[in-house]
Order: sequence, then C-alpha cells, then structure tokens
Amino acid sequence: MKGMKEYNPISLTVYFLSVMFIVMFSMNTFIFLLSFLGALTSYIILKGAKEKGFMVLILLSFLTSSLINPIVSHNGVTVLFVVNDNPITLEAFLYGISAGVMITAVMIMFRIYTELMTSEKLLYLFGGLSPKLALILSMSLRYIPLFGRQIKKVIMAQKASGQYNTESFGDRIKSGVRVFSVMVTWALENGIITADSMTARGYGAMKRSRYKSFRFDTADIVLIILSIALACVTVYCLEATQTLYYPKVEIEINGLKAYTGLFSFGALAFLPVIAEVKEMIKWKYLKLKI
Amino acid sequence: MEILEIENLSFTYPESKCETLSGISFSVNYGEFVTLCGGTGSGKTTLLKMLKPELSPLGKKEGTVKYSGKELNIVSAKQSAGEIGYVMQNPEQQIVTDTVLHELSFGLENLGTKQNVMRRKIAETASYFGISQWIDKKTDELSGGQKQLLNLASVMIMSPKLLILDEPTAQLDPVSAEEFIGILKKINSELGVTIIISEHRLEGILPISDKLLILENGKVIHFGRPGEVAGNIGNNRKILEAMPASVRLYHMTGGETECPIDIKAGKRYIEKRYGSNVRAYPVAERALKNPVLTVKKVSFRYSRNDKDILSEVNLEVYEREIFCILGANGSGKTTLLSVMAGLLAPYTGKIEINGKNIKKYRSGELYNHCLSYLPQDVQTLFMKNTVAEELEGADTRISELFSDMERIIEMHPYDLSGGEQQILALAKVISTNPSILLLDEPTKGIDAQSKKRLTAILKKLREEGMTIIAVTHDTEFSAECADRCALSFAGELISAEETHRFFAENSFYTTPTSRIVRDIAENVITPEEFSELYSDSDKEREL
Repeated sequence: MKGMKEYNPISLTVYFLSVMFIVMFSMNTFIFLLSFLGALTSYIILKGAKEKGFMVLILLSFLTSSLINPIVSHNGVTVLFVVNDNPITLEAFLYGISAGVMITAVMIMFRIYTELMTSEKLLYLFGGLSPKLALILSMSLRYIPLFGRQIKKVIMAQKASGQYNTESFGDRIKSGVRVFSVMVTWALENGIITADSMTARGYGAMKRSRYKSFRFDTADIVLIILSIALACVTVYCLEATQTLYYPKVEIEINGLKAYTGLFSFGALAFLPVIAEVKEMIKWKYLKLKI
Repeated sequence: MEILEIENLSFTYPESKCETLSGISFSVNYGEFVTLCGGTGSGKTTLLKMLKPELSPLGKKEGTVKYSGKELNIVSAKQSAGEIGYVMQNPEQQIVTDTVLHELSFGLENLGTKQNVMRRKIAETASYFGISQWIDKKTDELSGGQKQLLNLASVMIMSPKLLILDEPTAQLDPVSAEEFIGILKKINSELGVTIIISEHRLEGILPISDKLLILENGKVIHFGRPGEVAGNIGNNRKILEAMPASVRLYHMTGGETECPIDIKAGKRYIEKRYGSNVRAYPVAERALKNPVLTVKKVSFRYSRNDKDILSEVNLEVYEREIFCILGANGSGKTTLLSVMAGLLAPYTGKIEINGKNIKKYRSGELYNHCLSYLPQDVQTLFMKNTVAEELEGADTRISELFSDMERIIEMHPYDLSGGEQQILALAKVISTNPSILLLDEPTKGIDAQSKKRLTAILKKLREEGMTIIAVTHDTEFSAECADRCALSFAGELISAEETHRFFAENSFYTTPTSRIVRDIAENVITPEEFSELYSDSDKEREL
C-alpha cells in the first residue's frame, strides 16, 4: 500500500468506480452511511476541512434533500402533520435523510477523485483510449486560463480607450459583445500560430507515441484486486440486508451474510483512510529513526 | 560542407503582383551562426519559412533549396520535423500543451519515440536548459523568458541539426533576451547546431554571428562576415539604423579601418580616433512648469497579504514633456502606469490629473479628451476587419500623421507588422484627443524603421501640446525622445532627471552609445549627438 496520491490513475479509477457503483445502485441506508463516513474521513485526511465553500455546499444539498422529499412524497403511514391537505410523513422524512446521506457521500467522493486525478493523470487515462483525445484535453486545459487572462486584458484596454462603458445596461451589453468579438479574432489568430508550431514539430507526420509518467506496481494491482473483490462480496451479500421506508420503516439484517456484506463494504469505503494512515505511521516511524 | 544551399530562389504569394523573394542565392555551412536582418516587409519571415517544409507558404516558387545536398521537398516528414527546428516570435502562442513536461514530450511523441528514449531525452534536455526546477509547472505560470526558453528546449529535444529562429527575442525584456541569445551561443558552440536567426535587436547577436545576411525588398544585398558587411553599408541609411550603436558611430564619423561590431571594439575605435579630445554635449535647461499629472505618496498591492508593488511613489509630470520610466521586469513600472491610468486603485496616496483628483472623474469623462492609455498588447484594441474601419471617426489630424498608411488601409489589423500595429493602435488611442498619453512598452517587437517613425510621431504630438508618459525597457528609444527619465526599482521611482544626465550618470542602465563614448564625450547618449559634437574634428581629418 502507498499514499492515495501515488496510485496509478487506472487503479484509482477502478477503486472509485467500484465504490460509486455500489452506492448509486444499492438502496441500503447502511451502505450510504458507511460510504459517507469513509468519504468524509478520507476527505479530511487528504484535504483537511479547509474548503469552506464546499462544506457549505454539501450541507445545503443534504438539507435540501431531507426537507424536500417529505414535501413532494406523501407515502408512508405515520403522518406527522398536514399542510394544505397534504400529509407530511415520518417515513418520507427519514427516506429524505437517507438519500441526503447518499448524495453528500457521492459528492465528497467526486471531490476526492478530482483532487487525486490531476490533469496529467486524466490525460494518461484518456490517452490510453486515444492519443488525439488526450492532446485535445491538454490543449483545452491550457486554453481556458489563457482565454480568461486575455479577456481581462481586453476589458482593461477597451476601458482606458473610452470604448468600454458600464454606465447603463445597454452600454454593458454593447461593450460585452465588443470584447467577445475581439476575443474570437484573437482565438482564431492564436490558433493558426499554435497549429504552425504543432506541424513544425512533426504533428501528424506519423503515429504518435505517448510519454507515460505513472508507474504501475504491485500496490496498484493490490488496490485493483481488493476493490473488485470487496465490491463482489458486497454485491453478493447485500440481498441479506434491506432498509425499506415505504409504507413503513423496515430494517432487515439477516445473519452472517448481511454482516459480511456490510463489513466488506466498510473495508472498501475506508480503503483510502487505511492507506493514508499507514503512510502517516510509516513516516512517523522513519522520522524517529532519523 | 553545406547544410543549406539556396539557389536563385524566388517566391510570389497567390494574388500578389510582386515577388516577395527574388533571386535569392546563398549557402550555409554546417555549424555556422547566420543572422538575417532587414526591415519590415523585406521578406525575412517568408525566407525562413521556405527553409522549413511544414511551414512553407503556398504560392509560386522558383529555384531550389537543398538541405544536406537533398532537395528540400523530397526530405521525409520525419527527417524534416526532427532535424529542422523552428522557433517563432510569440512565446505564448507556440506553446501547445498545459504542462512543461508535456510540452517537452510533445515533439517526441509526434515522432513516435519509444518511452525509455523519451524519458532520457527529457531528463537530458531539462538539465541542459535549466528547466528541471520548473518542469512540473503549468505553462501559463511561466514568465515570458521562461516560455521562450521552453519553446527552444522543446524544439532542441528532437536534436535538430538546423535551428531556425524568427525574431525569438522580440517579445522579451532585455535581460531575458540576452539570456536567450547566450543559450543560442552555447547551443551553437557546444553542440555544433547550425543556426539561422532573424532579429531586430542586433546589439548582442552580431558579435557571435559567423555570417550576416541583409535582405531588402526580397533580395540579398549583403552576405558575409558581420564586420565586413557592417563596414559596407554606410550609404544605406535604412539598414544602418538597425545596426548596433558602434556600427552607427563608425559610419557617422566617416570611419576608417575595420568596423567595430560590439561595445569593446567600439570603445577601441573611438579611443584610437579621438584620443583624449574630451568634450561635453551642451544640455539645454528646460523650465519645469504646469504639472499636469501628479502622483503623491501612492502605494499599491494586489491584496492585503501581498507585498507592496508600489510603495510611496511620488512623481510630477509637466505639460508638453515626454517622460520615460525605465526599469527591470517586476519593478512595478507597468503597475504604476495602470494606476496613473485609473485602471487600478492605490490603497493610499493621491493622483491628480490636471489638478483634479482622479477619483473625481467619471469614467467617461476621464477617457474622453483627457487621458489615453496604450496597452502593451496592442491587439487588444483592434475590433474591426480593416485598418480603414479601425480609423473611422478619427479626426483629420490623425489621418495626416498616418498619411502614408495608404498601402495597408485595406488590410486586417492582425496582418500588419508589429511596428504598423503599434502605430495603428496609437492612432486609435489618440483619436479621443487626450492631453495625456500613457504608453506601455511602445517599442516592443518593432523594427528600427518603425521605431524612428514612432519617435517622430511622439515628438510631433508633444509639439501640439500633449504630455506623454512611457514605460519602456528601451534605453535608445528613451534617449531619442524623452525629456526626462526615471528608474523604477522595487516599487519606487528613483532619480527622475533630464535624459542626458540620467544616462550619463548611470553605468549599467544606459545606452550603448553612452557606454562607448563616455570616456571622452560627456552627456552624449546617441550617435547623432556624438557626430554633431565632433563634426569639426571629423571634417579636419577629411581635409
């Protein structure tokens, strides 16, 4: 095992796909809870709780889900109160919470995934499918910030030459359109030079090869095998446990099979945590030796 | 042995009546460093592109170009991509990918290079060019100089035998440009790569060139050792203007013996010719009155936690003067200009324009008839499809200034040369009839001819009552037209002084002419002034 950031993009993707597959296709609250806890812990270990905006976003989506469901869904037998002839039920409320946990878990997992998959890793992954696709991706990643900066420059220049007015709404629209048209010309012109620079360096002369810079070692194989094996066990055992909300809350956990399933999913959800903690201990230990 | 043989090469663009290149013949030996020079429209870029099959323009071509004894159009795509490297002018637009590492591997990937070979080449190249420190960076985080170095490295990684460069330092500041030229010299002498380069700024490049080729109207008018060629161009004023200060001094003083092509040789020449004939150039005292722009204790930073980019800058600029602000990159001079233009707001201090606080102007009021700003990237100003449309609405005074622009009036602004774009942009920003004009690097990437023209226009505008403030790296341009200069350093403005005294007192930040003649001629900063000061002694000599 190694730290999550060092894994090969392929093994990382296999891991995340197997967790998300189970989370999104199962209807089991235990699974949601486990994945939520696993994702949140890994997120805090990997990123720290620094991103306030993101925290607010997941909290909001959790609240929305758990509050909106009882308003639109009136299934369930335990009526809490009635609004405009619409019964608000306890079951719908609980179901909303369960769905909210699932949504936030998936959001946090996606956030971790984008954090771990830098643009080079994405390129490496897509480059395997097609070198051309990889190049287009890489070029777009370069153009987005470039475009942004140029727009700022154009606005400044237009402003100082008295062409960019923001006084009335109509002026703003006019000025915006003008900036946009300047940008289009600029982008086309830019594109010609870039294309020249590409052909000058032999683009299209023959079949492209690929510069890979990500190692694939035993730790990666272990991660892939673990992810798939744990996912399979979970899927096989999951039929033994059920959480139903409509019409009445029913929670079923049938014997050893159910516990095996939940345990293996728990292990799967906490794999990043295990990997990171192991890495931390290793470094503590190494430092002690020094 | 010749790596390139060009015989009677002529080229005409489709739909063009006259030849862009006509009857060009020359050859280049393995390992030679050839510098190509010539004014705008002399066909430099077209000639260079004819040497690189992938970039050769479409049109009517006559004559032959041979690479290593083989006709260029039968050289295989792989050989041509790998062996002939091409670096263009604009650092930004040549970069294809998002990270430095990927950019380096781009060319190798195109040629289907094996992975282990690629790894080794990248490691080698990054070490040789000193890129290892920033190999993991994103390409848009790099400085201009680093970008151009990356462009060079990503061409050199394919181990070319012939390296073609089209004005590679035109967009760089002088320090990065010198570093870049230094690396070219290293590539040429250590690796034996043949180099053909076109340049406007010949100061640093002439001494390291083996051959100098001068193009005019699509014809080779001189080709030979730089010293010889430079000695033979005395009667061609247009070409002479583009030459280094030592060459201009040599011709203006009616030179004998061999023509000096660098400062050291220039100093020797002057010493030999004038001995200890010490003279001082009379500096006219000018009364400083009617301040039109005042900067009082202005400080600026981008955010609270950043360092000050400007700290307590004080400045007064007077009516009818051209004021130049010089200084290294990152010294805050462009920021100062943006603050003076009202585009950035300082966190303390006050700026007064014509005696009124800049904050009290409404934006429409400030930028109409009062103040105009010419940005560094002039393309950001162009909005129309032809020059004529761009100039629509400009008053007659401007049409007069640009009377000989007829030739280009129907062209797209982007198709103009750097110098022409600069002048068109200037025409646009003064069409609001401002009393104060702010210029950001007005001479960047333009040739000697356009520079001369720009200087003349600015002087004329000053006569008409305009106050001009320019931020520039170009010491010679400042020496030509500025009334006063100041040095910007670490967020402060240092020693605002009369131009002659400013350059005469500086020992590093000064014009090449001042460096050459400072031992005998006090306060002389341009070759013209020197020849004026010593004209009687030169005449005596002739008699």
